[in-house]
Amino acid sequence: MLLDVRDVHVHYHKVAALKGVSLQVPSGGIVTIIGANGAGKSTTLRSISGLVRPSSGEIHFEGERIDHLPAEQIVARGIAHVPEGRRVFPDLSVEENLRIGAFLRSDKAQIERDIERIFQRFPRLKERRTQWARTLSGGEQQMVAIGRALMSGPKLLLLDEPSMGLSPVMVQEISRIVADIVETGVPVVLVEQNAGLALRLASYAYVLEIGSVAVEGPAAELKTNDHVRRAYLGA
Amino acid sequence: MSDFLLQTVFNASYAASYMALIAVGLVLIFGVMGVINFAHGELYMAGAYAVVFFYAGLGLPFLAAVALGLVFVGCLGMLMELVLFRPLRTNPLGGLIASIGFLLMLQTIAVLGFGLRNQNVPPVSQGRITIGGAFLTYERLYVIVATVVLLTALWLFLRRSKFGWALRACAQDREAAALQGISINQTARYAMFIGAGLAGVAGAMTAPLVAPSPFMGHTVIVTAFIIIIVGGIGSLEGAVVAAILYAFVHTFVTTFYDGVIANIVGLLLMLAVLVVKPHGLFGVRERA
Ligand SMILES: Nc1ncnc2c1ncn2[C@@H]1O[C@H](COP(=O)(O)OP(=O)(O)OP(=O)(O)O)[C@@H](O)[C@H]1O
Ligand SMILES: [Mg+2]
Repeated sequence: MLLDVRDVHVHYHKVAALKGVSLQVPSGGIVTIIGANGAGKSTTLRSISGLVRPSSGEIHFEGERIDHLPAEQIVARGIAHVPEGRRVFPDLSVEENLRIGAFLRSDKAQIERDIERIFQRFPRLKERRTQWARTLSGGEQQMVAIGRALMSGPKLLLLDEPSMGLSPVMVQEISRIVADIVETGVPVVLVEQNAGLALRLASYAYVLEIGSVAVEGPAAELKTNDHVRRAYLGA
Repeated sequence: MSDFLLQTVFNASYAASYMALIAVGLVLIFGVMGVINFAHGELYMAGAYAVVFFYAGLGLPFLAAVALGLVFVGCLGMLMELVLFRPLRTNPLGGLIASIGFLLMLQTIAVLGFGLRNQNVPPVSQGRITIGGAFLTYERLYVIVATVVLLTALWLFLRRSKFGWALRACAQDREAAALQGISINQTARYAMFIGAGLAGVAGAMTAPLVAPSPFMGHTVIVTAFIIIIVGGIGSLEGAVVAAILYAFVHTFVTTFYDGVIANIVGLLLMLAVLVVKPHGLFGVRERA
């Protein structure tokens, strides 16, 4: 397993947000985490990327324990996290936002090539490369956030609700991009409210309910699971 | 009359310069760490005392004393970051209160080390530029030149260097910056060194002109707060523009009316700006 989360508990000021979450991510494909508001999806990603510290449990990446490391060292190991709400740097240009994603890299020539690759993948960003990120539309900001994460050259990409607040056309566009990224060999952990979309894209799925995993299994199976259909697919 | 006007412009440029150094440092610290550093005036005072000690006391060259002042006060800033602001990072008011405590400590150290009286710093140069009936002493000119050089260097650092980007990114979104591999601790340390160092230089460069005392920080901190509010809290460009604006208004009113009215006009200027632009001239929004 590329990523192995074992029985992780997270508390915010003594209140439990995760009550023993375990999940595995293989080195290819998409694993999705779905669940209602407040179920602990973002907290799970934040504990993987080191933004919050588990109060107990272990997180292993490529066989090494990472749950005690500060966020900047976890990025260095190859985990890129696109946080909920995109969180682009509003007063940096599109290009500066992308370049700062490569903050820890020193291979200048390869960075230039990667920037060009990102601009090929997101032509809308190329037209707006000198524009302040704050002036972009939501969908464009999501592209910047994803591009910025790719600039670190990740071995694993964590995406927190990339479809949030986007028009159906833009959601299609983003899912195409995610599928594309997986195609190039970077596995993705996809957190989504849009369970239909997530189960279509992913090969394996975890359903979080109030801080623990309620159901898990291959995405195709969960699509037909009665509980999942009733609670998350509106069927 | 035009000589008189030119003289006032010279005076205002001098005041704008060192106030800009102080205010920019204050904004940088606030931007990156989210802390309002009440001890900023005392960092300015510490810079002045570095010149009292190294230049007036030990007889080192003035520029060497200023450089030592920059490094010394910069290191004081890093110390504040390490022992005060870092442990209190999750406590929004903690840093502010700790900085008030630190301010009192610095004042006490200055009193114990140098006494209560104003210090005499021998003049660095007697020279002056004369244009018509107006003149600008070299000592004041040096302050203006130092400010332009340092702020240009800071601007280039923030725009062109990787660590400059890291600083700006941190000021805009600390958590997102951490996700790019930027170390918050390291960035905060840099910001404190630069911000405190700039206040130190302002104190050091003006030491021969102001007769340093342990309480000289009071006079600048209030002005610095007005300036960063007018400029838009968090905006470095705003701090520079507001320092110039404030210094010119204040100096002109002082010259043509008197100092008390100038202080009142300064506050009215702040109110007027806040009525028209609640986030200040360059402020776009609340910063985290
Ligand atoms: N910074 C915080 N401080 C205190 N409690 C928090 C914090 N962040 C999250 N929580 C709490 O932890 C629980 C899980 O939140 P989390 O953000 O992980 O949910 P989520 O599944 O991502 O929800 P959503 O779909 O709304 O994004 C919630 O009860 C939330 O209120
Ligand atoms: Mg969430």
